Amino acid sequence: MAIERIDPKLCNGCGICVNSCMLDVIRMDEENEKATIRYPEDCMMCYFCEQDCPEDAITISEAKNSPLVVSWG
Amino acid sequence: MNQVSFIGEYMNNPEWTEITLKESYARWQDMVAWGVEFYKYDDGEYVWWPPRPPEMLAKFPMQSIRMVQRKHAEVCRSQATKTGVNILDRVMIADLLKQDGKVVGAIGFSIESHDLYIIKAKATIMSAGASAFKPNGTPLHVITGDGEAMAYRVGAEITGKEWNDCHPSRAEFPAWQWSPRKNLSTSKKDDFGGLPSKVNAEGDLFADGQSVTLYIEDVHEADAGRAPVYWQFGSGTADYHDLVAGPEGLPRNQLDLDAEQEGKVRMVVGSSLGMSVHNTEGIWPINTKCATSIPGLYAAGDSLGARPAGARYPNMGFSTAYCSATGTRAGVAAAEYALQTKKPIVNEEEQMRVKKILYAPIERQGGFTPGWVTQILQNTMMPYWVLYVKHGERLQATLKQIEFMRDRIVPKLTAKDAHELRLAHETKNMILGAEMKLRASLFRTESRGTHYREDYPLRDDPDWLAWVKIKEEQGEMKLHKEPIPEKWWPDLSKSYEERYPLRFPRE
Repeated sequence: MAIERIDPKLCNGCGICVNSCMLDVIRMDEENEKATIRYPEDCMMCYFCEQDCPEDAITISEAKNSPLVVSWG
Repeated sequence: MNQVSFIGEYMNNPEWTEITLKESYARWQDMVAWGVEFYKYDDGEYVWWPPRPPEMLAKFPMQSIRMVQRKHAEVCRSQATKTGVNILDRVMIADLLKQDGKVVGAIGFSIESHDLYIIKAKATIMSAGASAFKPNGTPLHVITGDGEAMAYRVGAEITGKEWNDCHPSRAEFPAWQWSPRKNLSTSKKDDFGGLPSKVNAEGDLFADGQSVTLYIEDVHEADAGRAPVYWQFGSGTADYHDLVAGPEGLPRNQLDLDAEQEGKVRMVVGSSLGMSVHNTEGIWPINTKCATSIPGLYAAGDSLGARPAGARYPNMGFSTAYCSATGTRAGVAAAEYALQTKKPIVNEEEQMRVKKILYAPIERQGGFTPGWVTQILQNTMMPYWVLYVKHGERLQATLKQIEFMRDRIVPKLTAKDAHELRLAHETKNMILGAEMKLRASLFRTESRGTHYREDYPLRDDPDWLAWVKIKEEQGEMKLHKEPIPEKWWPDLSKSYEERYPLRFPRE
């Protein structure tokens, strides 16, 4: 799954993880001013967001599931 | 110098090899002065990589020191800002602007708002990295060959597409690459470790970790039906740290614990899919100032195909040395050019032409998502029998697929937002890169280094002591052979076996 969760209780809304991500997986939720996982399928598991989060709010797993191949999409 | 030519099988340009080796020292001094950190042992000496025993170092002396991961980027960014550089974050540059035969800037968009950015420039340096097909894991998943594709579309020449980078992944979780979380071990100075030795499914040792190879032997073991292949390591050695240890030097999960107990990990090639030997591939320079054949366009780093390396990558860290040397050269040369050039006035017609291409995927009502197309591209190019064990018939068959994607799928790429618009342009560029790789592989009718053709299984001197250049001519991709100057040839009076002591796995 790669990036799994950003704990909203721990996230302080600093936005560091948004800038850490080279692939634009994480965005700030404008309503609650917390970081949110917007494009999880693009996570490449660099762990930079997890390393940079000052609140240890981000969980990443080792495995990445690829979508099943279909005829068009 | 000799090591690079030998391992690269004489496909390097020694002038650029020398520039890389000599000038990177001054660039290292710059970086240290700015505050970039390099790994050191506990006693303060630098960690030289890869670790090698003295007898091997006598034969292959090239080693490199390694920057502490990520910190160098922050330091270089800060240094650039201090000198007045204006950095645009979260903007994808999608194409170059060309007018009156010159590159006059670039066009892009915000990946958050899709706002348009038009940058008019007296001189432009393309430094957007190497080329690949978004392979598994960090850091190569970000590489899509955008810089090369942009340069090709304005008429620049591209080279080096037939070679391969053969980085493997951990088979159990292919997004693993080179342990992005780990730091180098800096406590075991005399523990050479070496490179891992390799065994196949039958338990046979096929690479001892102490001998230089063409680095394609894993693929040939798989092709011979002896997969899976394993890399073996000694507990606590440097290769152990590279393969299973996390940032604290300990295994991270059950798979790592199992690997530690068995002393080996299962590996599979593919974590650098689509990547050539970086800095052997890229935009062809017309001089040692990093200028390209298109006035106003310079190239640096992995986007520049100056060929300091040859048909196989010479040593870890070599490209960083090359990038730092060419970055400086290109910067100085582009500045000199800009000083002699008037501020460009880009006409409305050119801006509108490129803008239309830029936003086409987001304005299209129906079509194909870039995620799906990328997956199909990877599935087409990933099997080992396409790019690693090549044959003319299979290359032609795969090229037919890619041509269909180029003609029928790329024009229908869609994007639902700015994030996907970036992916759509990356996908278009990767399909162009795939066509280049297949055509270059067909064109080079020999085997050499990381380019192995079953139907042409030997090096062919002197016919293929040559580089391949790719260029768009009247809407078609054309390939040309550029002979390597005779002064850089191997000694043809020696036997084939003496010139090329590194054997292909079945040679």
